[in-house]
Amino acid sequence: MALLEVHGLSKSFGGVTAIADLDFGVPEGQVYSVIGPNGAGKTTLFNMLCGIYSPDEGSIRFLDREIIGRLPHQVAELGVSRTFQNLQMFFNMSVLDNVKVGCHLRTRGRIWSNALRLPGTRREEKQAERWAREAILFCGLDDYLESHADALPYGVLKRLEIARALAASPRLLLMDEPAAGLNDTETKQMRSLIRQISGTGITVLLVEHNMGLVMDVSDRILVIDYGSRLAEGPPEAIQNDPRVIEAYLGGEIEYAV
Amino acid sequence: MSHLRGFYLLVAAALLLPLIFPDNYYVTVVGVTAALHAILAVSLNLLMGYAGQISLGHAGFFGIGAYASAILTTRYGWNPWPAMLFGLVLTGVVAFTLGRPILRLKGHYLAMATLGLGIIINILLVQTGSLTGGPDGLGGIPTLSLFGWAVDSDLRWYTVIVSVLLAVVWLVLNIINSRSGRALRALHGSEVAAEMMGINTTTTKTGVFVLAALIASLAGSLFAHQQAFVSPDSFSFFFSIELVTMVVLGGMASTYGAIMGAIILTFLPELLVVFEDFEVLIFGAILMSMMIFLPQGLFVGMQKLWRRVATEESRRGAA
Amino acid sequence: MFDQILQFILTGITVGATYALVALGFAIIYNASDVVNFSQGEFVMLGAMSTIALSAGNGLPLWLAAACSVAMVICVGLMLQRFAIAPARGASVVTTIIITIGASIFLRGLALLLWGKDIFGMPHFSGEVPLRIGEATLLPQNLWVMGGASVLVLGVHYFFNHTTHGKAILACSCNRTAAHLVGINVGMMMLIAYGLSALLGSLAGILVAPITFTSYDAGVMLGLKGFSAAILGGMGNPMGAVAGGLLLGLIESLAAGLISSGYKDAIGFVILLLVLFFRPSGLFGKASAERV
Repeated sequence: MALLEVHGLSKSFGGVTAIADLDFGVPEGQVYSVIGPNGAGKTTLFNMLCGIYSPDEGSIRFLDREIIGRLPHQVAELGVSRTFQNLQMFFNMSVLDNVKVGCHLRTRGRIWSNALRLPGTRREEKQAERWAREAILFCGLDDYLESHADALPYGVLKRLEIARALAASPRLLLMDEPAAGLNDTETKQMRSLIRQISGTGITVLLVEHNMGLVMDVSDRILVIDYGSRLAEGPPEAIQNDPRVIEAYLGGEIEYAV
Repeated sequence: MSHLRGFYLLVAAALLLPLIFPDNYYVTVVGVTAALHAILAVSLNLLMGYAGQISLGHAGFFGIGAYASAILTTRYGWNPWPAMLFGLVLTGVVAFTLGRPILRLKGHYLAMATLGLGIIINILLVQTGSLTGGPDGLGGIPTLSLFGWAVDSDLRWYTVIVSVLLAVVWLVLNIINSRSGRALRALHGSEVAAEMMGINTTTTKTGVFVLAALIASLAGSLFAHQQAFVSPDSFSFFFSIELVTMVVLGGMASTYGAIMGAIILTFLPELLVVFEDFEVLIFGAILMSMMIFLPQGLFVGMQKLWRRVATEESRRGAA
Repeated sequence: MFDQILQFILTGITVGATYALVALGFAIIYNASDVVNFSQGEFVMLGAMSTIALSAGNGLPLWLAAACSVAMVICVGLMLQRFAIAPARGASVVTTIIITIGASIFLRGLALLLWGKDIFGMPHFSGEVPLRIGEATLLPQNLWVMGGASVLVLGVHYFFNHTTHGKAILACSCNRTAAHLVGINVGMMMLIAYGLSALLGSLAGILVAPITFTSYDAGVMLGLKGFSAAILGGMGNPMGAVAGGLLLGLIESLAAGLISSGYKDAIGFVILLLVLFFRPSGLFGKASAERV
């Protein structure tokens, strides 16, 4: 039984098919990557997995519970967290507060208890601060703790998104192009960060264009093209799959990081 | 607690002012109006500055509170306190039922819907004359009294309204710097990301809308008892815009900024009596130029300036 | 009863034609620059007030006074774009809303300073002998309003569909960068859009002033009504905005006649809220998918 099971998933926008009859399963504890050319439907897939879009057909089961029909915050409650391709930072907040928002589901304090600063709130705030600092440290952001998010460079923000997602202590982390726009050094840091995350037992579902990174960190890879499954398997098999080379990579592959 | 440092300064200032200037018109009369405006600005700022949801109809809720107190105490002989509570309940019900569909809207549509709501409330106040006294207003509202202590002098009103302001500021500061406050600010930063962090954006928006409305309603009840008279003019579209100006002037997403904006805009017309004809012009110019040149507002702008001066000083000291 | 309703309809169409022109002004600026110009109503007020000041105060013939004041209001529109909207480009929706509200208050303050709080009237263009249609009556000025509005609406329609400049403005609204890349002078197109809106607003004000009178704060309600009408019809569609204006005028006039004149504004806004709740893209607008 895989952690995430997708069956017969389809979605089209005004007659244009984005995802067509897609099946796959993400085993627990692995790094599972989805690759495909631009416009293959990867981001659409992500948006369906976390409840932003609702599919036309099919089922998405996470921990044997149906995701379809739940709102994004309800999906998050099941233990799914994500990062975004185009940064969705809380630019009006500090780094620490950004990550504290990630702890939202691990705390319970209601507005009246917060407003009166009851003992429960005090305790919870301290706890949230500890969790947030852990996540910040984990992502190597301790230098930026008190900085305002709108004053940070792009590469740092990419890691900040991950720290925020980790603060939620998810079972499954969806990462949408974490290395996009990063330079070589930052990409290497990102690679080891993904490995570290996986090392803590969190299952990672990765969409990424940097083939070197994907081949390096993934346990399994799903290749989609025009919304359909082209191939699936461990990195070595994908690298040597003639269909992938032919259809997606156009016969030429660069594996440099 | 660090987030309350500024609050203690505020408390000190509020205590010292009437001691240094007893019976001063600008403290106990204009000051009370400023404090009342500050309560409204702080509540609107919660909605607009922190949660990022614009409202051009906040005066409507202020009006519901004021008229609930005015009507129930003068026409039905209620005691002011249950009347105030009734105003709060009524405001809560209105804000809750309309908040959900209104806050599904964004940007211009949200602005227009809140504006429409404010105007509808105002028209109802004018048109239901048998109850509200119509455009002429309603007078003879009794003053408040607390365990036999009647609030019957300027200084006593100062005490009451400034205490309520301080209480509201304390609550709001606590909220902002906690789980629910972060959820509000997250809403402003990115709704999608807030949802993905498990924040129910629909209930959060409705919640902050209701909370802001309740605070405005409370301010309305106090206003009615303090003035002993209410008329629809005090709750018009223009007053909603004035409240927005206060928030913008001081600085959105800064509670102290909202207080500062309320104080400046209350004192400005008092000090510029000579320029009475220019008042409207100046208001417009402030709104426009603040948004163009200093969109963060005076308070945040001054904080930044202060920090820059401070770092310059320390640099010079080090060298 | 029938004659009474006919009378309400005739009044409604006249008022609606004014709303339609204001709404059209809103829609043009919104489509060109994604800004809702809350000072659109002030264009209307300025057009009427300055015409009255020039003709009654300075003794210019009415047509010349009208022409001068339209030119002046267009200048105000251009200045608004140049000095208030353009510097804040890329700002949030809330910011631009507050800027244009500020501009509207500023212009109102200016009018108050220049002309005081009095209510002014303007002579009717061609007499006040009412025309009879059955039992209902119609002033020649009503025909001026309807005719003038029709000509302006058709003109705007032609401009956007059959001239290069009109199409270029629409291109700016679709994609500013792309419009710039294909050689459209985006800044100039913005100025044209604001100038055109100011032209429509001021002419609406001049046409309707003999019937409704005017004062320094007459623009507030007209602006809000115009905005409601634009939303009612659909902001993305200029002709929808025109239809929305006519519809709002009719509804208000019938509501005022058949229900209560005190509630006519409230009924307009209740309908606005209902449209926003159930069909935010407007009655005549296309529903647009929300992108994440």
